[in-house]
Parts: sequence; structure tokens; C-alpha cells
Amino acid sequence: MMTPAALTKRAAPVLACIGLLAVWQVASLALKNDSFPTAIEAVRAIPDILGDKESLLNILASLRRMAIGFGVAVLVSIPLGLLMGRSRSIAAFFNPLLMVIYPVPKAALMPIIMLWLGVGDVTKTLVIFLGVSLPVIYHSFEGAKAVEEKMLWSGAAMGLSPAQRLVRIVLPAALPEILTGCRTGLVLALITMITSEMIARQSGAGNILFNALDMGQYDTVFAMIIIVGAMGIFLDALFERARARLVRWSEPQFDMPLSFS
Amino acid sequence: MKARQNGRGSNDAPHVCEGDGLSGRFLAKLVLLNVRASETRYGMTVVAARSSEWMRPVTSQEPASAIIEIDRVSQVFQTSARKDHLALSDISLTIEEGAFVSILGPSGCGKSTLLYIVGGFVSPTSGMAKIKGHAITGPGPDRGPVFQEFALFPWKTVLGNVMYGPRQQGVRAAEAEAQSRALIEMVGLKGFESFYPKELSGGMKQRVALARTLAYHPEVLLMDEPFGALDAHTRTRLQNDLLTIWERDRKTVLFVTHSVDEAVFLSDKVVMMSKSPGRIRQVIDIDLPRPRRRNELLLDPRYQKYVVDIERMFDESDEAGPVS
Repeated sequence: MMTPAALTKRAAPVLACIGLLAVWQVASLALKNDSFPTAIEAVRAIPDILGDKESLLNILASLRRMAIGFGVAVLVSIPLGLLMGRSRSIAAFFNPLLMVIYPVPKAALMPIIMLWLGVGDVTKTLVIFLGVSLPVIYHSFEGAKAVEEKMLWSGAAMGLSPAQRLVRIVLPAALPEILTGCRTGLVLALITMITSEMIARQSGAGNILFNALDMGQYDTVFAMIIIVGAMGIFLDALFERARARLVRWSEPQFDMPLSFS
Repeated sequence: MKARQNGRGSNDAPHVCEGDGLSGRFLAKLVLLNVRASETRYGMTVVAARSSEWMRPVTSQEPASAIIEIDRVSQVFQTSARKDHLALSDISLTIEEGAFVSILGPSGCGKSTLLYIVGGFVSPTSGMAKIKGHAITGPGPDRGPVFQEFALFPWKTVLGNVMYGPRQQGVRAAEAEAQSRALIEMVGLKGFESFYPKELSGGMKQRVALARTLAYHPEVLLMDEPFGALDAHTRTRLQNDLLTIWERDRKTVLFVTHSVDEAVFLSDKVVMMSKSPGRIRQVIDIDLPRPRRRNELLLDPRYQKYVVDIERMFDESDEAGPVS
């Protein structure tokens, strides 16, 4: 039997979604603008997109690029961030480079990358890679920096080599922070995925969206926005579950009531 | 003074007959002499007389062999103002196998640095430290550290933490687990094997840290203010338990502390350090019988005298004007 408080907690996200759709519906009915379809029209267009084989393949191609871009970025960024966090000279070398790249919108680099590598998968995956790597490097760096020196000394006294200490002490100790970076990276992967397809139109979820916009099919545009949003929520929820399992040891054991609960 | 004399009178007898009788009786007489002396004389001269007593050679039954030799070690740190700070100046010290040695001094006297040098975590600017005749060039499982900050692996359970060292040393999982469970029981944490460090109190964490270090059988325990972050009650209990554990296998212990009581209660030898630059001021043999029981020792005038004398020596160095 669920307590009222638990029930509210469960129902809150659903209520938020319904509320958003309701506001949308009312606003669109009030404005009566052709380029702003009602929520019901947009939701109705979703099965058309997902039922179409070509659209589905497009979306899957997008997800594949995103998965590769994200995966490679994580595999490269975590070791780099950890090394930077534990070695002042490595940090001194890479920090200025990252500072230069950080504020540049990765989509702004796309025209140049397109010149070099064409408009295919490689370019788009590379842009996703760039978008994801910076937050992951940054959080890995911060996480590794915060690892207590004495924890490493304890490991050294047990006979762990420097490489073993990095993999078996710094990595797990920094994992909560690293995963925070990965979570940000995941959202950025989705964003850069769509923007890259906006600039290099050829295939993908972004392509469907912007083609529909060009042709004035506004219900499809909004349906795609809902689909992309839902993908984001789903991926984030999936990631959050995995994260909670991996770093259970760092979560507080007993839930303290928050001040405004 | 009166109270202490009375205390000595009523508690002296039971303590001097534990195989250690002669030296005990000898000491008791000295105490009596000095108590009288300090009633009539003033600070400096009395202390000078006392110092010479403490500096007599150890009256140990068997000749102990040196396990750690610190030879003219100096350590210079660069401070933020790019000035050199002499943390340790020309330290030489020999530690005998099986001895419980405390390094006592005010904060900033470099006592922890000295411990880190023996641990191999810090290389001295000049001089060298040796273990069993071999120069120390880095950390090794023959020297097990226990830190004030516990430094447990938070992603491992209590059992996982204690098993970590033996597993790293190549002990088979089943064997490492059995040994680790026994150690966890010995430090009084039976039932907490599957807890994460986050779920433990400070005292429990330090017990885990001790078990984790004992698990890989270091020859020397390096304890860096291990009870410094604990409340008074927990601290006392851990001191008692540490002594009980130590009295079983008599590992060599190098114990850094700024608490005079703690140093006297635990140690065979107290190395008093002074600050700026860090130097050894005096090495004092604590000639109190073992096994030591807290409730007996606190009433023992010999114990009280060690504590008072050491505190007085520190006070005098403070009053002697600026040392830096």
C-alpha cells in the first residue's frame, strides 16, 4: 500500500507531462496560428513517423551515430581527465587547449569538418564526440583531483603500481563525478546529434524535422520534437538507473527529509 | 603535588612486582626525590636533573636489533611565497624491532613528514631512511600506514577493504576472506562486514583502517595521528584496543601524535620534537610495566610524572621565546 506522499512522488512526472500538453493545447487553440499545431495534432502525427520505415531507419541511424560518438568520447575522455587530475604537467598541457575548445559551439566547427571529411557519418559522429568529450573530461579531471592522496598511499603500501592505482583507486573513487559528466555528455550527444543533422542534411532524425519545417508540415515538426524529447527522457532515465547501481556506495544510506518536502 | 604523592603511596606496590620490579622500584624512588625537589626548586634546574635520568640507556632484557634507521634526514618544502621552509632538520633516529615508538610534538614540527619519509611516500631532501639495512626508496607492504583521515576505499565494503591488501599480495580469495573476517572480528566489527565506509562512525572507520593494514602483515605499523579525529571516548577505547592487539604480536609501531597522555600511555619510547625547524628535542624511555591497563596506569604516579614532565618541557620551549 502506497502512502499519499509516495503516490504524489510517483504521479508527479506524469502530471507534469499532462500539464505541459494541456497548456500547449490551450495556447495553440487561443493563438490559431498555422505554424503552431495543437498538442493533439502533434501527438497524432507520431504514429505516422514511427510507422514509416524510412523515418524509422533515419532515426536509428541517428541513434547509432550518437552511440558511437558518445561511446568513443567517454572511452577517450575518462582516461585523459583522470591523468590530468593526477598529473600537474599533463593538466598544464591540456588545460589551455580545452579552454580554447570549450566555449566554441561544436556545430560552428561543422562546416570546416564537412570540408575535410564530407557530409557523411564521420563528420556527424566527430561533432557528437567533441560535444560529449568536454564535460566528461572536465568532470573526470575534477573527480580525479579530489581523490585523497592518502588513499593512493594506502594502495601504494599494498604494492599497487602507479598504473594500477590510476585504474583501481582513482577511477572508482572518481566514478560518481565521472558519471555526472557522462550524464551531461549524454544530453549533449542528443543535442549535437540533431544540430549536426540540421547542418549536414542527409539522413537522421534532425533531417526529418527540418525537412518537414521546410515543407510547412508543422504537426510533423512538433511530433519530431516530442520524439526527440522522449528519447532524451528515456536515455537519461536508463543512464540514471545504471549510475545509481554503480555508485550505490556513495549515496547516503538513510534518506534525510529535505527542508521543503 | 599532595594528591599525586598520595596516589603513589596507595598504588605503588601492585605495580612493581611484574618481572620489572627492580626498575620500577628504582623509578618510584626517583619520583619521590623529584617530587620533593620540585617543591623546593624552580623549573629549569629540576628539569635538567630529570632529563639526565631519562636519557640513561634502555634497561631491556634482550638486545633488540634496529629495524628502522633514520640517518641525518632533512626536508625542505617550498612555501607559496617561494621561500624554503625547513620542515625537518638533521634527524637521526633508530627504532628497534618490536618497539612502540611515539613521535610527539606540536603541529607543524614535521612529525608526520618524518613518518611519510619512513613510509616512502615522501623522499627526504637530504639524508636517508633505512629499513632492515635497505634504503627506503618508495612505499612497500613491509610498512603499513594508518592515517588520521582513515583513507578507506569508499566503494568497497568493510570486508572488501580488509581483503584488498592480501588479494593484491596474491593470497587466494577464500584464504584472504577467512583471514580478513578474523581480523574484522579482532577489531570488534563482527557483523559489519558488508557495510560501506559511509555507513560507519569515525571510530569504526579507524578500526577498519587498522584491520586493513594489519591484513597484509606489515613489519612496521606507521600510525599518523590515527585517533586525532575521534571524540575523547572513542579515542580512549581505540587506544586500549590498539594496545591489546599490539601486545599479542608486538609489531614495531611508529606512532605520531600531539597528545602527551596518548604517547606515554602507549609507548616504550617517546621522541619529543620541536618546531621550526623540526628537530628531535629529547628521546624519553617510558619505563612502565606491560601489559598496561588504563585504569591502573592513570593512577600510577610514574605515569603521571612522565606526562607532567613532558608537558613542562614543551611549555618551557614555548616560553623560551620565539623559536622560528
